[in-house]
Amino acid sequence: MELILRIRDYKYPLIITGLAILIVITTLISLSVGAVGIPLKEATIILLKNIGLFSHFPVDEVYEVVMNTIRLPRVIMTLLIGAALGISGASLQGLFRNPLVEPGLIGVSGGSAAAVVIAIVFGSSMATTLPVWIYNSFISIVAFGGGCLATFFVLRLSIEGGRTNIAVLILIGVAVNALTGALIGLAIFYADENQISTFMFWTLGDLGGATWDKLRMAAPLLLVSTVGLMFFSNTLNVLALGEADAYHLGVNTEQVKRLVIFLAALAVGVSVSLAGIIGFIGLIVPHLIRTVFHADNSLVLPASAFGGALLLLISDIISRTIVSPAELPIGVVTALIGAPFFIMLLYKAKQKREL
Amino acid sequence: MYEAIDISLKAGERFIVKNVNLAITPGTFLAVVGPNGAGKSSLLKVLSHEQQRYSGSVQVNGMAIRSYTPKSLSLIRAVMPQHSYLQFAFSVEQVIRLARQAHRSAKAVNDLIVEEVLEVTGMQKFRDRNYLTLSGGEQQRVQLARVLAQVWEETVYPRYILLDEPTSNMDIAQQQFMFNLVKNICPRNIGVMAIVHDVNLAIQYADNICMMRNGEVIDSGKSFDVFTKTNIEKTFCCKVNIYHDPCNNCPFVIPEAEISSMPKIAINK
Repeated sequence: MELILRIRDYKYPLIITGLAILIVITTLISLSVGAVGIPLKEATIILLKNIGLFSHFPVDEVYEVVMNTIRLPRVIMTLLIGAALGISGASLQGLFRNPLVEPGLIGVSGGSAAAVVIAIVFGSSMATTLPVWIYNSFISIVAFGGGCLATFFVLRLSIEGGRTNIAVLILIGVAVNALTGALIGLAIFYADENQISTFMFWTLGDLGGATWDKLRMAAPLLLVSTVGLMFFSNTLNVLALGEADAYHLGVNTEQVKRLVIFLAALAVGVSVSLAGIIGFIGLIVPHLIRTVFHADNSLVLPASAFGGALLLLISDIISRTIVSPAELPIGVVTALIGAPFFIMLLYKAKQKREL
Repeated sequence: MYEAIDISLKAGERFIVKNVNLAITPGTFLAVVGPNGAGKSSLLKVLSHEQQRYSGSVQVNGMAIRSYTPKSLSLIRAVMPQHSYLQFAFSVEQVIRLARQAHRSAKAVNDLIVEEVLEVTGMQKFRDRNYLTLSGGEQQRVQLARVLAQVWEETVYPRYILLDEPTSNMDIAQQQFMFNLVKNICPRNIGVMAIVHDVNLAIQYADNICMMRNGEVIDSGKSFDVFTKTNIEKTFCCKVNIYHDPCNNCPFVIPEAEISSMPKIAINK
């Protein structure tokens, strides 16, 4: 522990660069594996062709179509969602000064899930009357709306006398999650088997629905929220001292709380609406970074974004290949890799402290 | 000057602080003493502007405290709380560096300030230690170093430090070290207010005393004038004897031991 603390600021870029290199390698692997295997060399060339390099190089047309219409949007979406989930978890943990917080706490995921199941069960007949472009992303829009609504409630109810009371916020978050859980149960009670399986599949997360159209809408929102949260690293460090101390040190705590919660809700809401509920990334990645490297948020925030992207991408590769041609739900994979690794890490950290 | 003018603070119908007037003069050390629940910490929260729902006014360097932004206020006054809520494994140096967050000074300036406060608080050896693994007294020293770093630079305007029981976890040697340090930084155009539990520490180091009970100021003024037998007995509800300490050339207060049997428990069976 003491040794880890000695890693000073100048090592931070090194850690981030290392993660970035791993992401590039994993991206290439992810692009090449699947039902149609594309050799790494071809995958690299097609990727470079997209940014205008090697345009004279001949490559198999099938490879190019598979890459550009299926795999590339999926990989990009996976990276963006992983980064958004990782950094939202890290910044909410920093904001609440509690390493056990995960993005679901502010009600986003619960609200989304409740809205989606209600829409699946009661709204499917209504949805067919909607214009096609809305119908195609009906679930996404409903999920996003439900997530925002729940977060708005949690946030609104926890403001007392113009100040956001974090303890109240956590309690209301728990209550809202219980309520959305009840709504989900109620909807499932009235659902037929088909609807239940649609919902179950959605809850476990699915990255397979990635298209360039969806990305065009979602990517800017994910990028804005992820990059926006990175600007809060210093402020969150000061907030680690406690809200009163942060105020004494010149932080406008109220503004910071609302902005961070808004950006995190945006990031998670968009992610959930694209790929369903993907648990664990937001909780585990910031923890890994803190345990392995350092608790300084100017490292934890960017590294959680990079680490989240990496972990989700690796999970996606596994989910696509392990039971090919079927796909395991992504949420199952993230938890299956994440949980044991996490337990091992905590166990090691505990042993070290005891020595 | 850091002035509290006719401050009252209520919790429901009960006054926690009632019509309190108080001034911190740059270059001097003001100790606030009083029994538990006298409203000392609440008054400090009003002065630091953490608690904003009070009546009366607080003036900082001639301007109403409400007209400052959190950032501009943080350049003038630093606060050391009673408890620290840090949960993450920050190093001592990092904790101190957080104090420089609002100042837009060059890295070299910040580095120098961090070195200086580490030196004056004697925490150089601890700089890379995990804050969470320090003892209570050591943590308080780090917190003081952080508070000092916030207002360390010489400026044209006076700065202020508000301390809430800064030595509550310290042994007697550390207590003397801390109060001596606090007293020695006053000449840097800094006004200090500290809530102090140990009456004798307050007598040894404070220039001015404010004695509080039940939210009201009982007496305030020069240290030796305020610490009279009647004042102390009235404020603390405790019999004391005051002697002269020839070594420090100041009075010292010793409470009379209360050796009696336990009060009878009167419960009707």
